[in-house]
Amino acid sequence: MKEWILISVILPAVMGVCLLLASFAENVKRSETVNRKNRRRDRQTGEQGTQFGLHCFVGIVLALSVAITFFTAYGGEKSLVLFPLVDGIPVAFRTDDLSCFFVTIVGIVWLCAGVYSFRYMSHEGDEKRFYGFYLLLYGVLCGLCFSANLVTMYLFYELMTLTSMPLVLHNGSREAIMASLKYLFYSMCGAYAGLFGIFFLNRYCDTLDFVAGGSLNMTTVSGQEEMLLVAVFVMLLGFGAKAGLFPMHAWLPAAHPVAPSPASAVLSGVIVKFGVFAMIRTVFYVVGPAFLRGTWVQYAWMTLALLTVFMGSMLAFGEPVLKKRLAYSTVSQISYILFGLSLLTPTAFSGALLHTAVHAFVKCGLFLTAGVWIWQSGLTRVEELRGIGRKMPVLLWGYTVLSLALVGIPPTGGFLSKWYLAQGAVQSQTGVFRLMGPAVLLVSALLTAGYLFPITMNGFFPGKTQDGSQPPQRKDPPAGMLVPVLLLALAAVLLGVIPGPVTKYIADIAALVCR
Amino acid sequence: MREWLLLAVILIPFAVAVLIPLLPFRSRNGMLLFMEAGVLLNSILVFVLLSLHPEQALTVFRFTGNLSITLKADGVGSLYAALVAALWPFAMLYSFEYMKHEHNEKSFFLFYVVTYGVTLGVAFSENILTMYFFFEMLSLITLPLVMHTRTREAILASRTYLYYMLGGAAFAFIGVIFILTYGSTSSFVAGGVLDPAGLGGRMELTEIVFVLCFLGVAVKTAVWPFSSWLPKAGVAPTPVTALLHAVAVVNTGAFAAMRVTYFSFGTKLLRSTAAQRLLMGLVLFTIVYGCSRALKETHIKRRLAWSTVSNLSYILFGIVMMTPAGLAAGLAHMLFHSVMKICSFFCAGAVMHQSGKSYIHELDGFGRKMPKVFCSFTISSFALMGVPGLCGFVSKWNLAKAALQTQDAMAVAGIAALMISALLTAIYMLTIVVRAFFPGREFEYGKLGDLKDPGWMMLLPLFVFVIAMFVFGLHSGPVIRMLEQITAGIQ
Repeated sequence: MKEWILISVILPAVMGVCLLLASFAENVKRSETVNRKNRRRDRQTGEQGTQFGLHCFVGIVLALSVAITFFTAYGGEKSLVLFPLVDGIPVAFRTDDLSCFFVTIVGIVWLCAGVYSFRYMSHEGDEKRFYGFYLLLYGVLCGLCFSANLVTMYLFYELMTLTSMPLVLHNGSREAIMASLKYLFYSMCGAYAGLFGIFFLNRYCDTLDFVAGGSLNMTTVSGQEEMLLVAVFVMLLGFGAKAGLFPMHAWLPAAHPVAPSPASAVLSGVIVKFGVFAMIRTVFYVVGPAFLRGTWVQYAWMTLALLTVFMGSMLAFGEPVLKKRLAYSTVSQISYILFGLSLLTPTAFSGALLHTAVHAFVKCGLFLTAGVWIWQSGLTRVEELRGIGRKMPVLLWGYTVLSLALVGIPPTGGFLSKWYLAQGAVQSQTGVFRLMGPAVLLVSALLTAGYLFPITMNGFFPGKTQDGSQPPQRKDPPAGMLVPVLLLALAAVLLGVIPGPVTKYIADIAALVCR
Repeated sequence: MREWLLLAVILIPFAVAVLIPLLPFRSRNGMLLFMEAGVLLNSILVFVLLSLHPEQALTVFRFTGNLSITLKADGVGSLYAALVAALWPFAMLYSFEYMKHEHNEKSFFLFYVVTYGVTLGVAFSENILTMYFFFEMLSLITLPLVMHTRTREAILASRTYLYYMLGGAAFAFIGVIFILTYGSTSSFVAGGVLDPAGLGGRMELTEIVFVLCFLGVAVKTAVWPFSSWLPKAGVAPTPVTALLHAVAVVNTGAFAAMRVTYFSFGTKLLRSTAAQRLLMGLVLFTIVYGCSRALKETHIKRRLAWSTVSNLSYILFGIVMMTPAGLAAGLAHMLFHSVMKICSFFCAGAVMHQSGKSYIHELDGFGRKMPKVFCSFTISSFALMGVPGLCGFVSKWNLAKAALQTQDAMAVAGIAALMISALLTAIYMLTIVVRAFFPGREFEYGKLGDLKDPGWMMLLPLFVFVIAMFVFGLHSGPVIRMLEQITAGIQ
């Protein structure tokens, strides 16, 4: 039943396109009614009924797609070859362990953010367009996870950029449009740098299919090592643009704050991870870690990653706008993962993958939390959140647990992943980085605590500065928004409490690819 | 007998064109029907001719000795002829609707149809003199089209056009004379007609003449520093800009450059000489320069024209690699770029025709009012950027692959140039798309009035080209294999 792969890509994509067409037709009709007052009245009367229908439709499609994806991923190894795209290289799909791992993260995050957005997006307008792109993007990400060679991956990588951009500019303000263009151009720049490398790999590899450990043809390479190293480095920088690696990180703090919160949640939780994914596929499945070990590329990669870890944390520490702070935090945290990958050892690789999962859940949850505060009271800056714990204690508890996981306090998942990362660094043969790596990670963890915990502290203990003697009314957000946050927090904790199955799964992948 | 078809397809457009002002048409539609029928018939004849594979050359006229006007359909020539024959009927259809509001339709269509014959003449030229003849004719025939509107701007542009074209032809003429003097024959022979022994150690002279000749014909492809005529010529009506200044005229330049390089001077002689390096440097610079200028430009047609400048240098990049693979890749980009660029120009023309707006900042919110045109425009933008699944990706892939095969550092730098240009393309095309579809929350659609998509005569060509972009993008195998076959013997 290999066609399931295709179904899991096409079903959400087609449904998304249908929604987009519906939204477009509706807008065309609306733009023809020139009278503004009429338009507003139309909206209000028809709103409730159609919204419920829309939510049901999106919910069912989303649940069904995620179910099909999981069924595809875990129902045994499948591969599917479609038509040749270019140069005899086909569009091909395969489910291997790594793709299952990533697609699971995507599925969970997508469901949580999807449920959350039912409430959130009803105030943003143009819901159909949002859900259209949301579903379409899910299909594209499935395709990206399941792609079996570099060309297919590149195809979906570009589609991912193009379909996620409208989520960023959703609210249509000038700022949002500029931010989305910035996002687009950074991503495009990255994608073309990636393509640049793919041209080289096409020449120097036996095949562009993903083979654990790489398929570099050493006889063709001999004498041209330096050129290939440059190409691989350009590729890493390119995919690093998506992952927020310095010097291509500037799109994150621009795009995240203007996007609607569910969009920034998936952007930060999932989309940036596909920069990581592309790097893993390139380095561990096409080039092979053996070729890079000990070269200047490895050291440059490590240096950039550590630099980004530190810089991201510092910038987050000094940032007063919560969503921007979280965006900088993403910059820093993703580079934890990249540092883990750049060590090219199995332990560090495990740590990197684990941190991918932890960070996906945590950062998605944090952005959803920030979204609740914006949605309910329009609070965007950190100092405005003083005393928020009196109003929404449950939510703030969720936030606190998520923060603990991100800082890496046991028994959460973040502790485990950072443990592996540090252990991997110490065990590796990378000279000065053996000690510098863990040191930077530690400092950054302190900074993370420094920029996340004040919200909890000031939220629960606002001090005596408040003028009103009455404690504010308790006003928890609706369950539709609260539950996804709590579930994500739970997932982040569970990864640390019962790590057995996941770490074993990851260790198998690591042992296979880090030869 | 089959060979006479070669002459027929060149002369039929002339006959059709001459009859346009002579025949007493009762209505505009009658004239349109007549012209479309004529052009369509000619295209069908071209395809019949190509399927018959005429082996022999047809000498139409002999001046003296080896100086003759001779026609022949060889591999690359047939390819180019097929491209032109496939695009012309659609462009004709489009221009009927476009020209509805313009003056002097008849003179416009006369020259428009004649150009078809001349372009086929370039494609079917058997020797360098014939090519030069048609090449020069093409410059002169298209001049009235550039100054069609008779505005001051148009007259100035046509003057620039004329100077560039004649200057280029003069340089090319040096090459023609050189080949006639030192070549073993004036015909196009795969691998070139220059014999190193016959040159008697005049290698430096050969290189200089080659560079002059190449640049002379490449003036038509607007290679830097001869690129400014192309954006200026954008004052012509859009069917001209789209078909001639994105396809026929500029590709003729690339085609002639290919003929000169591979069939007259010969790549064996020229490979890894200073001449090749110089030309490759210019071409690579043009690739990036054209895109950068496009980025700065706010007039939609001029922006697309600068984009053409850059994309034509992709083709030249393939050609100056001087390998069969490079040539095949260049030809592939010639095919694919024609489809992509004609589509985006037609979209721009549709916008100008429907709304009279021609600056990019005026296009806010058009996407919702003209969805069909802007969807086509979006797809052609993606194709130009090189999104996989569309044809632009295929030709980029092949160019990069060919460049890597040469093992030449400069060609490898060319890949970087391609990628930079792709990024810039993304920026200058997608800003238009985003503007059209997402004008901002406060945008009042009432301002646009009753703007709508144009009629079927303009839309049909767009849809056909969009489909072609997908077909070539998803199923490029046969085309690429055919190109490889054509270029296999050309060293």
